[in-house]
Amino acid sequence: MIRRSRLLAVLVFISSVFIVALPSLTHAQERTAVRQGFSFPNDGSARILVFRPDVTVGAQSTGGLFEPRADWTEQARGHIGTALDQALPTLNAQIVRIQEPIGSDAQLLRDYSALFGAVSQSIINYQFFVGNRLETKKRDNRENVFEWTLGEGVRTLPGADQADYALFITTEDHYGSTGRKLLQIFAAAAVGVGVTSGLHAGYAGLVDLQTGNLVWINADFAMGGDVREADGAVRRVSQLLEDFPGTLPISGERGGAAQ
Amino acid sequence: MHRITLILALISSSPAFANDLVPASTPVNVARSDLQVSPDRDWNKLDARPGRNSETWTLDGELLNDVSFYGGTENNRTLFREVDRRNRPLPRFTSTMLPTDIPTLLENSYRIARDVSIFTLDSQEPIRFAGNPGIRFTYSFIGRDNLHRSGEAHAAIIDGRLYMATFEAPSIHYFANGIAAFRHIAASAHIARPARRR
Repeated sequence: MIRRSRLLAVLVFISSVFIVALPSLTHAQERTAVRQGFSFPNDGSARILVFRPDVTVGAQSTGGLFEPRADWTEQARGHIGTALDQALPTLNAQIVRIQEPIGSDAQLLRDYSALFGAVSQSIINYQFFVGNRLETKKRDNRENVFEWTLGEGVRTLPGADQADYALFITTEDHYGSTGRKLLQIFAAAAVGVGVTSGLHAGYAGLVDLQTGNLVWINADFAMGGDVREADGAVRRVSQLLEDFPGTLPISGERGGAAQ
Repeated sequence: MHRITLILALISSSPAFANDLVPASTPVNVARSDLQVSPDRDWNKLDARPGRNSETWTLDGELLNDVSFYGGTENNRTLFREVDRRNRPLPRFTSTMLPTDIPTLLENSYRIARDVSIFTLDSQEPIRFAGNPGIRFTYSFIGRDNLHRSGEAHAAIIDGRLYMATFEAPSIHYFANGIAAFRHIAASAHIARPARRR
């Protein structure tokens, strides 16, 4: 009996250590990359087409299934949009906004946004996660080569003829339900198994509108900020634009806005 | 004490990931079977297998280019692992199927195993695959990530078992970029030994 309780105590201790340690391990992972040879124009002349962020918010059931929540998504979309409007003037570039596309243009934008999401996930899984790199890309990885693309078809995106780059932003948040959080604690304490609760993925990428190449990306499966609240959305947008190659110093000049 | 040490070792060991290189121009048996192919460029073989007798290769990650092999799926077996056997059982391959039944088997498997909501069979034609009469079919679908993907499959039923190679990639850029390399793989497919199981 004493042996069993000792074993349980050891498991609880190890689990608690892991629960504390895991987030720091996640953050230790690389999450930003710039294409080799890319340099952002420092005279503010670059024209960046900014699309409306692709935002999805929902709950994670006890079993881990994602249940989209339209109300949370709507709130987050508004807050992130406002936070982005406040952050864009800090980029040393001319910001190009277009009217919300409709019809086939809207579908094309949705398709590219979904492709950007898939490319971002692949970058996290196979480039940023060093232990999981693809054999055919290992030499590139060693030499810091970052070559990912959406293809030259980006030239057909609505507004692409008015800009040099497009800024894609995607966020996906799954908030763990109470049941899920309890399961996480129980699984860690009783069995020593790590059950994740929630997902807070965010990807921001700058795409060359001539080649389709990703020239800069910031992507992580563990972003901060509760996007359902205004303050949290400001934090999220600030994290997404962290290390953006053309960010102005606080006292620097700001690029104009082109409509 | 040994028990505690073992548990400690299990918990503290980091997850093992291993993606193997599949070198160009080297014949290789795939999906733990007698199906052999020779790619014309280097590929990565992913450690994770979608099903019992299957194997996935990729260039940039399975979300962007996915070549999957199904090596001799036997009678009454599923293509993928069951996700909810009680409420949504996967369809099973049967030896009496005709090659023209294979697209429906794949479609119905995807609807359950991959949560695919929209699946369209775009074309189908008879071909020879792995030296036997078979089928080539093309399809497109939208999965959980709302991304349009295109696919092409080459398949044949040989000695009552299903042999198939599929290529899937986002319809934008990636499908066109990878289809030639896949077709080279599919054209090189052959049964390396008589189809006999231990």
